[in-house]
Amino acid sequence: MVSSSDRRYTRRDTVLFILCLGLSLFGLFSPTPWGYGVADTLRETVLSPLVWLQTRAEEGRTSRVRFRQVTSERDSTAYLAQFLPSLRAENERLRQLLRLSRRLNTGYVPAEVLHQPQVMDGRTLLLGAGSREGVSVFSPVVSPEGLIGVVLSVSGKSSVAMSWAHPEFRVSAFTVSGNAFGVVAPSNEGRNGEGALEFRGVPYRDSVPLGTLVLSSGLGGVFPKGVPVGTVIGTVREEAGWERVYRLRPAANPGSAAHVLVLLGGRTGDLVSAFPTDSLLEALRLDSIARLRRADSVVQAARVARLARRDSLSRVTPPQGGTPVPPPQRPAQASPMQGGTPSAAPAPRDSAP
Amino acid sequence: MSPNRVSRVQLLLVMMLLVVLQFYLRPRLWDARVSPDFLLIALMLFAMRSSPGLAALAGFAVGLIADTLTPARFGAGALAHTLVGYLGSWGRAVFFADNMLVNAAFVAVGLWVRDLIVLLASGTDHRQMIVELTLYSPLQALTTAGFALVVLITFRSMFSIRLDS
Repeated sequence: MVSSSDRRYTRRDTVLFILCLGLSLFGLFSPTPWGYGVADTLRETVLSPLVWLQTRAEEGRTSRVRFRQVTSERDSTAYLAQFLPSLRAENERLRQLLRLSRRLNTGYVPAEVLHQPQVMDGRTLLLGAGSREGVSVFSPVVSPEGLIGVVLSVSGKSSVAMSWAHPEFRVSAFTVSGNAFGVVAPSNEGRNGEGALEFRGVPYRDSVPLGTLVLSSGLGGVFPKGVPVGTVIGTVREEAGWERVYRLRPAANPGSAAHVLVLLGGRTGDLVSAFPTDSLLEALRLDSIARLRRADSVVQAARVARLARRDSLSRVTPPQGGTPVPPPQRPAQASPMQGGTPSAAPAPRDSAP
Repeated sequence: MSPNRVSRVQLLLVMMLLVVLQFYLRPRLWDARVSPDFLLIALMLFAMRSSPGLAALAGFAVGLIADTLTPARFGAGALAHTLVGYLGSWGRAVFFADNMLVNAAFVAVGLWVRDLIVLLASGTDHRQMIVELTLYSPLQALTTAGFALVVLITFRSMFSIRLDS
């Protein structure tokens, strides 16, 4: 038997259920714009705090994802930045090679050095240019710093060069001052594991100071004249009072060369101008500075002339109701083009008495 | 303030906590289709402790929220939640609802029925309905039941009251 209170509960529950069900069905079958309107209103008013809360949560989740993305991008950038110095160095070397190729007055072929993992890699180098590009046996191989070696064998697309570190390498050389001649050969007494060269056969009477640049002499017909071979850094030995042997620091390092130029033909040419020494570079620099100064002086002289012309025009223009007044005689001013010093101060303007 | 009133206030606080979790924690959890529905947990726990009329009213309110915040057909959520709340309240009398596992099972079944009604009322394609009802709904029912169990264990003393007594 159901009590009266239970019955009241049941009626109320039924009424509420039917009411909610009716409202739901009304919402379900009402026109769509009505539903959207009600939803928009509720979203903007009663449910706005909940929407705000969910927006914050989504932002937090997005921030976390973004943080991971930024972290991974930073790691990738750091990884790439590790290669930046080597890329810069390679870029600089290629620029130097480009400058050298412009200065060369002989034919050349650019070639990549294909380094091998063997320990003897520095003695012979595999080059990425062969007979198809015009490379032939005994073609000199140079880098922007100086002499690398000579081509030993050639195939269609590649060639093998003997570097100065090879025990059989020899090149006839002379000092940049021209007072000593000799033969450069690899040294057996390299310091700290680095390769070194010996400048042999220098007469005992010819003293070569430290720091002197040694160039190829062009004798022998293999290497052209004027390619830097090394710099004197000491004396190895003095044999029987008639010969001195000097130690040279090599101008170019075959072990680190990535790109070289193989010279074609004209092995007897003179390449001194293609490998300017420090003094020549200094002279070139001074010359360029002098050119700039000359250009500046011309510009300044033109400016002074313009000012003077404007000044004279203002003097010739008659004042209102008066007669033209001739300009007063001024002492002649030396032109900067004639060696005079131009005045940077503007010309004084005339004032009516 | 009577102990019964204190318990009601505490229960109200738990319900509010579930609402906050629904809108603040749920977006940070897994995929939205399998993450737990805290509003349904609140509805089912409330329905099992109140009269059918109040449960239907609460279901209507939860469904209205769902309809407002989701682009599904307006009214489908309200209808589904009303029915689920009402049936959940009646189901308490049929089953032994004081057991926590039974409570969690009620939540899981309620979620699946809710999805079924929403899909039917929205006129969803049969193929999509099968996928939803056999894959996503059971997964979401499992996660929701799990969280409901956690809520019941954590706030055991607060859920020991009968709101219709």
